[in-house]
Amino acid sequence: MGQNILEVDKLNKVYPNGTHALKRVSFNVKKGEFLVVIGLSGSGKSTLLRCINRLHEPTTGTISFEGNNITNIKGKPLRSLRSRIGMIFQHFNLIPRKTVLTNVLTGTLSKTGVFNSIFGIFSEADKKKALELIELVGLTGKENRRADNLSGGQQQRVAIARALMQNPSILLADEPVASLDPATSHSVMQYLKKVNEELGVTIVCNLHFLSLVREYATHVIALKDGNLIYEGSPSEIDENWFQTIYGEDAVEVTID
Amino acid sequence: MSNSEAITLNQEKAGLKHMKRVVAAMAIDIFLWAYTLLVSYKVIYQKMIADIRYAEFSWNQPVYALAIGALVALGLFLFGRLSIGRATQGLYESDDSKSVTTEPFMLLGYFIIFITFVAGLNISQVSMREFFSEAGLLGAKRIFTALFHPNFGILEQAIFAAIETIYMAFIATVIALPFAFLFGFFAARNLMNSSPLLFALYNLTRFFLNITRSIEPLVWAIIFSVWVGIGPFAGMLALCLHSVSSLAKLYSEQIENISEGPIEAMTATGAHHIQIIWFGVVPQIVLPYLSFTIYRWDINVRMATVIGLVGGGGIGTMLMQYQGLAKWNEVGLLAITIAAIVWIMDWSSSRIRESIK
Repeated sequence: MGQNILEVDKLNKVYPNGTHALKRVSFNVKKGEFLVVIGLSGSGKSTLLRCINRLHEPTTGTISFEGNNITNIKGKPLRSLRSRIGMIFQHFNLIPRKTVLTNVLTGTLSKTGVFNSIFGIFSEADKKKALELIELVGLTGKENRRADNLSGGQQQRVAIARALMQNPSILLADEPVASLDPATSHSVMQYLKKVNEELGVTIVCNLHFLSLVREYATHVIALKDGNLIYEGSPSEIDENWFQTIYGEDAVEVTID
Repeated sequence: MSNSEAITLNQEKAGLKHMKRVVAAMAIDIFLWAYTLLVSYKVIYQKMIADIRYAEFSWNQPVYALAIGALVALGLFLFGRLSIGRATQGLYESDDSKSVTTEPFMLLGYFIIFITFVAGLNISQVSMREFFSEAGLLGAKRIFTALFHPNFGILEQAIFAAIETIYMAFIATVIALPFAFLFGFFAARNLMNSSPLLFALYNLTRFFLNITRSIEPLVWAIIFSVWVGIGPFAGMLALCLHSVSSLAKLYSEQIENISEGPIEAMTATGAHHIQIIWFGVVPQIVLPYLSFTIYRWDINVRMATVIGLVGGGGIGTMLMQYQGLAKWNEVGLLAITIAAIVWIMDWSSSRIRESIK
């Protein structure tokens, strides 16, 4: 703890259609943190996450990961960077019609040769690890089920196992529970907490519900119209801050 | 790039876009007015009102029409809501409470549809008198009687020819498959817009596919029958070429419609571009591809009968020979055989496609 794993400095993102999604956003993420990003839909949360692993290209500003400037890398270095950053998504983004095991194994694609992966040849060590991770997310026995036949919560857990397969030092979670029901949401958040505390993976997570933020986050930043307007601990977000972030008419909805 | 620079750049882009739209709107208006004038004069006036059988045509006429059309269009472009071009380019503010059909610019639209319909009737020489003429009805009766008394003596021959046709269609589909598979990726916009080089390749592929698809298989069959000689091989090549371009088009549209999620997820794992396609794209398209391919085989069997007409072999060639000799009883049998294969293929392919959904 204490060391910065990720440093974002004056990050700007302007989309080709003119939308200014991020405006001079700067913050640091410490190793082992569970950082939660909050804000309204369209405030730039998803863009921010996707700039970190360069799924979207930042317009200006710099991003440093483990001390290296990664704002402009391309090709193989970029792929190797992405392999050290896991990511899970609101809609899980699993590969349809493939088994749970295959889906988890796709987490090793960057280390598996193109030729081998096309013929589905993964190393025994990778397979063993995939089975262990399936056990970790509580899906033992479902290895050979088609991933798209699982429930939403189970699919998200497959996605977590896939991300962990990369041995990530940081895990990006883009609204991981936004399409799940309250009970399942907590279960998925519990798994993320476990990953954070037991495996020591730093987590950067977009969330909507403040109740979840208070329960799981160790640090919070808030975005509004692309500006970073709050940075601090989750307990400091009081009524005033809530209305600044979500607008005057907002009423807090809890999830439990 | 600073923020203010980005904003001015966007404004410039918007201005340029507006200019482009105005020019496009003008071009549309000029074309529509020129068309209206030309058709009104050539067909409505000369053919129908003045009843001139062989109206003279000179290239001056369309040029004059274009010039007058341009004047009228320019005149109307500036005033009121009379310009269709402006409407199609979104240069009018639309009032949601009013239906488009009551807008003033639709008047010209209705008129164009009307004169096109009238001119169309005139040009296709629609005549009820000939349809119900005595000689015509007698001929129809003769041919229908023969068709309904098919000659079963050539059944064996017809079945062999039909089998040849089915195999020809199958081989054409199978050979077309790998090419279409490859071109499908190159013709998918969402995979090819990441770099200028890929985008150029995309445009080149699209161009090639559009050209080969817009030439009828019948024409390709003629070309190949000169190239490799009359027979099933020429027909197969023609079907094959047309299948490549049609399938590649369908495949690429399927790729363009897939969900971006798995692609994003695979990109985020640090996978290579080929791995992203193999794991993020291919699993989403395999079944629709299979379905399209089976459907294409079905279409190819139907087309193979047509291609036989130009010497492409199979049952089509047989049909052409007998109709050339005016042997309508034999033609009747062949027509039944073709209908039977088409029906069987249609039924089985739809059953197969349903079961793999």
